[in-house]
Amino acid sequence: MNGPIGDRGREEVVRLYREFGPAVYRRCMRLLRDREAARDATQEVFVKLLRDGSLLGEGEQALRWIYRVATYHCLNVRRDRLRRERRLERVAGEAETAAPAASAPGERHLAEQLLSQFDPVTQAVALGMLVDGMEGDELAGALGISRRTVHRKLSRFLKIARRLTREEP
Amino acid sequence: MTRCLSDLELESVLRDPERGAAHAFSCPRCGERLAELRRLGEEFERWVLPATVEAVAAGAARPARFRFGPWLAPLAAAAVAAGVALIRAGGPPADYLGTKGPALDLVAYSRGADGAQALADGASVPSGAGLRFRVRPARACQLWIVSADAGGQVSRIYPSSGADGADLRGGESVAIPGGATLDGRPGPERFFAACRAGAPLSLEEVERAARAIGPGEERVRATRSLPGLPQGVAQATLLVEKRP
Repeated sequence: MNGPIGDRGREEVVRLYREFGPAVYRRCMRLLRDREAARDATQEVFVKLLRDGSLLGEGEQALRWIYRVATYHCLNVRRDRLRRERRLERVAGEAETAAPAASAPGERHLAEQLLSQFDPVTQAVALGMLVDGMEGDELAGALGISRRTVHRKLSRFLKIARRLTREEP
Repeated sequence: MTRCLSDLELESVLRDPERGAAHAFSCPRCGERLAELRRLGEEFERWVLPATVEAVAAGAARPARFRFGPWLAPLAAAAVAAGVALIRAGGPPADYLGTKGPALDLVAYSRGADGAQALADGASVPSGAGLRFRVRPARACQLWIVSADAGGQVSRIYPSSGADGADLRGGESVAIPGGATLDGRPGPERFFAACRAGAPLSLEEVERAARAIGPGEERVRATRSLPGLPQGVAQATLLVEKRP
């Protein structure tokens, strides 16, 4: 076996997965709200964490790594899903059976679209502060950025989000 | 601590109940969230871990793909400046044939109060709902649509009769005539579209592949392609959760 977990072997992988996998799955469920997508993401995130050696630290440190890696991974999954949905909407638009109301975006879809206007770090900051209820210091530590960056990104997000939502009909 | 705990802090509480426990157990909101996190932990143990542990172990055993270290950044910048292309390690196999976009799109619709709605994968629908389908293959091919449910029941959806699959033209979006009415039994049901270009695909092959999934809710949810079909068969799938 190669990589940072090297000789620990399969048993160690399973032990780590049993110990930290639930935290990864919970974070993925929080962001993806879809059991299958969260399950697939959990698997992918965990392999990343194992390869990076991110789970070899103390529990608190490992949790922060999990938060960071899972957040960015799931934001990518959400971005890809949004693109796929847009493509499917185009296909759906061609369907004779689809009523115009079918393509009207719901509030969640609107939020997804709003978030997708921003870079991954700003998305992670907005979710951390506004959805997860984290403090600036805590989020800065979890994402590996400065507290100042957190506040700068959040201010920019709020300013642009207010403008964009005001423009919505 | 008076404010509510973040998810990250609640994770710490789950690992060490002494941390922040006073607030978590006295605040109804945090208590509910903690209970939800515990429930998800059980779901991981019961459903996610058994389905993914082998893939995780295998993934951990594979060599990590080449990654840029910080020390490589100046080198990369210099290479770009010099017009030198950096070759990415771990590219596709030699027999890889790239195509733009998916080989086959499958969209299902359910008629609700607001008219026909395109269903997301895993959408919850009434167990007796009527569904309509639309497909679009990238290339001309012969199409079958079947479904498999948690009881191991495989149903032929389209074409509903005859021994041959339906001939579709490449790039053309087609509304499937007839559609399907769900059987009224709650649980997952997965629809598979399989389309083969350049050679016929028999119903027997498709049904045999669908039967191989076997009974079981989690099997139906987890199986995202029909196993054992000939190479070059484009597939698309969509799961619906039938609710009482």
